[in-house]
Amino acid sequence: MAESVIGKRIPKVDSREKVTGQAMYAGDYRMPGMYYGKVVRCWEYASAKVKKLDFTEALKMPGVVKILGPDDVTKKPYNTTVMKLLVPEIFGEVFGEIADLNIFNKIVKHQGDAICGVIARTEEAAERAADKIKVTYEPLPVLMTCEESKAEGAKKNGYLFTPLKPGNKAFDLPASFFPNQRYGWNDKDGKTAMELFDKCDYVIEDTYYVPKQKQCQMENHSYVAHYDERGRLNIWTSTQMAKPVQVLIAELFELPLTRVRLVQTIVGGGFGVRLGMIGEPHCCAMAMAVPGHPVRMEFLREEDWVASETRYPGHIWFKCGFKKDGSPIALDSMYMARKGGYYTHGSGPPFCFAAFIHGMYKWQAMGCQTEGYFTNEVPTGAYRGYGNPQLAFSGEQMITRMCKELGLDELEWRKKWHKGIGDETWLKGVTFASDGLNDCLDVAAKESGWYEKKKKYAKQTGVKRRGLGVSVMQHTSGAFPMLLEHSVCTAKLNEDCTVELMQQISDLGTGGHTAITQMAAETLGFPMEDIHLRSGDSDMCGFDIGAHASRTVYCAGPATIEACESVKKQLLERAAQLLEANVKDLQMKDKIISVKGNPQKSISAIKIAKEGVYNYIDAATGKTIGIPGQIQGYSSFFAKHCSPPFGACISEVEVDTETGEIKVLKLVNAHDIGKAIHPPSVEGQLEGGAQQGLGFVLTEEYAYDKMGRVLNNDFTDYKMLGPSDMPDAKIILIESAPDPIGPMGAKSCGESALMGPIGSVANAIFDAIGIQFKEAPITPEKVLKAIKEQGLQK
Amino acid sequence: MKKRAITLTINGEEYNLNVPVHYTLLQVMRDQLNLTDVKYGCGRGECGACTVLLDVGKGGMQCKPTDKKTTYCTMSQSKRKPILACIALAATMDGKSITTVAGLAQNGDLHPVQKAFVDESAIQCGFCTPGMVLKAVSILEKNPKPSEEEIRNGLEGNICRCTGYVKIVKAVQVASKKTATGKR
Repeated sequence: MAESVIGKRIPKVDSREKVTGQAMYAGDYRMPGMYYGKVVRCWEYASAKVKKLDFTEALKMPGVVKILGPDDVTKKPYNTTVMKLLVPEIFGEVFGEIADLNIFNKIVKHQGDAICGVIARTEEAAERAADKIKVTYEPLPVLMTCEESKAEGAKKNGYLFTPLKPGNKAFDLPASFFPNQRYGWNDKDGKTAMELFDKCDYVIEDTYYVPKQKQCQMENHSYVAHYDERGRLNIWTSTQMAKPVQVLIAELFELPLTRVRLVQTIVGGGFGVRLGMIGEPHCCAMAMAVPGHPVRMEFLREEDWVASETRYPGHIWFKCGFKKDGSPIALDSMYMARKGGYYTHGSGPPFCFAAFIHGMYKWQAMGCQTEGYFTNEVPTGAYRGYGNPQLAFSGEQMITRMCKELGLDELEWRKKWHKGIGDETWLKGVTFASDGLNDCLDVAAKESGWYEKKKKYAKQTGVKRRGLGVSVMQHTSGAFPMLLEHSVCTAKLNEDCTVELMQQISDLGTGGHTAITQMAAETLGFPMEDIHLRSGDSDMCGFDIGAHASRTVYCAGPATIEACESVKKQLLERAAQLLEANVKDLQMKDKIISVKGNPQKSISAIKIAKEGVYNYIDAATGKTIGIPGQIQGYSSFFAKHCSPPFGACISEVEVDTETGEIKVLKLVNAHDIGKAIHPPSVEGQLEGGAQQGLGFVLTEEYAYDKMGRVLNNDFTDYKMLGPSDMPDAKIILIESAPDPIGPMGAKSCGESALMGPIGSVANAIFDAIGIQFKEAPITPEKVLKAIKEQGLQK
Repeated sequence: MKKRAITLTINGEEYNLNVPVHYTLLQVMRDQLNLTDVKYGCGRGECGACTVLLDVGKGGMQCKPTDKKTTYCTMSQSKRKPILACIALAATMDGKSITTVAGLAQNGDLHPVQKAFVDESAIQCGFCTPGMVLKAVSILEKNPKPSEEEIRNGLEGNICRCTGYVKIVKAVQVASKKTATGKR
């Protein structure tokens, strides 16, 4: 065996091309005969009917090739998400999946809805022509809250977003599947959570609000589509879900998969926003209108805010009952989510919110109801965490408040009552196989000085008050068994005994390509540089779901391992035949296969690889020299579990009681990774996720005017934490509980990073000033208002 | 459409260009010259993805008399200032010289800042990386031994959504140590 590369701090496989500017993102592609496609969006209204569309003046503009309106492209409605491919059809129906979006629309359901498209010779020509298009709108009611939407939907002849969803209710848990429309479980006597509150010593009830947050990936959505002379539709895109999006495009344009080629370029960040189609339908529709000419399309940053999906905002209600000693008895809850203008991921994040409650603590009975209503906002979809950040803000604050009021040690309470090995995870019937949470809590407590500082900050006076907060979480590694988790890998042994992996791995910056290459190198015992991952082109790669649900290492890694094991097995089998030895007696080191204990009896794997490809007949004997056939390993892997990782985070904050400013001084996030394949990547996920989590809890939210127009569609008015705003962040990887199912013991980390910072900062603020904030983000204005109204509670 | 003839040096190569007067430097570089290592992130100078380094001082030997008898000479590096290509008009760049991330490596060797970004895994999606690396180079050229606070303040204006800046700051510190000791 070559020296193991697993767990090593090696440079990422793609870092040199990125650091020299050679990395090609979708917006960097330039092709001969290329046109530019510009989507004309509605900026004036969030709810309106297009009365008239006049292209006359626009068509006179120089450089214009074609202008396409709603009737010039397919009118087949679609849904941006790939969800329907990931569940059996019956599930989609039960959950109420619908297709309610068109490429170009005659009804505007949110600011930024696409109206028509201009194809021109240059970007500038397209933009100038777009300015000359005259659209006459008839304004419709603007519905920005669940209550407004519900009320309008209940009216006779009230405005409906879609006739498919009466009352404007986009989603709720179907009673046919979920008793009382709640996800959860009853106690051992069959009593629901609602029925158990009477038996509790202490009942807490609260409503929280969680914000509409934007992914803010740095690369804008960009595409090139080319309908070529062979009648193939080619698209270059930075989607997260390459294969499923290829399938959606094929379905939308009614083409067989052989005629749709999707090339996933380097992805400039995703965080869920590219989980499905965004501008692909528009770019493809424009390309199909000008066969032979590639069409390039690049979102402006301001378009990203109004035309790609966001996190689900909404209200969360919790009612929890405990015994005096803190034993958790019953939890009942409700998540009322604002859906935005289209269905997209309608059922996903609200259901997952309930699911993550399901996976966290040992209630005797637990139930969660979730509903979503259409609103005239940019649609909500997938964003890193997928329902779990919302729980971190609400649920973890509630636990802390209960502990404080009952005089319990909140760290010990979490240790005692969190679910662990053998308990059901976020999904019924699937049990935890590993649990490193108590280690996470112990390490985080030690590193943050939890007990000493808690004591020190117990009695504070003065303007600036410090506090410490803790928060725990569990997440998932892939989405099995709720969703399909299938990955295909082909490992081809080159004639020089290097390996080409052909596998669709979406690396959004996560280090996925590096980790997969490491796993291949480890399995084969080859050096890293002898493995090359070929990814991105649907003409080459087999099926893969893509990057979602923190799945790459956990769900795609095993396919890599299986394919490489097959290559190794075939090499050893051939060596056994050539050496006249038994396969089980052979070992391979530095590409030399030898009989254990008899190193003289050996053969080079390079020779086997070469002779497999360049196989000749020995003229003297008439027999083949070596064994013919190029070696190839293949795996079509279906994940069988979701090995949820745990995590514990402690934050220390300082609240300025005169200005309301909150400064996060230190953040310690201990993550139960099982085994870190590439530790710098795992750390990177947790460090970067902290910035997004802190944004959720402190600064980030869409602001709308009364007309439903976004007020902060830029990086000045939408505040993300910058380099000098970030706290001292200490990430600790806990490997004391390697997962028995995960590849090489690994669990996920991608989405896990946000929850800890969210819950712990909210709790630290509570600790500092004694006021719990029910609305995120917790801005200085809210802090000052609360202090004014309630006074310092500590 | 009014155009203006300009001479612009990019990574040591001189370009004689005819640029529409309303075009930004970013448009000219990406769309006219196909230099796509300079990224479009926001188009209004908020994210720093399009950062390039503008040469503002002459490099080489600089001598100044310190008193009547002696002249004090120093070899100074050329001074480079970060500018944002998305809000710089190309027509105003006549006679200027700029460096992009594609022009940082010398003789195939990565610049110490680039090397530190690779070694410290300070790159995730990589979209902010060209601008971030150039910004870091400018920080170190101005101040070879910046404190962590100076690094963080210096990086303000360049947004990264992947890393939380942790490994980026670390990379600048590592590069600072290497450049301060003259190692490449």
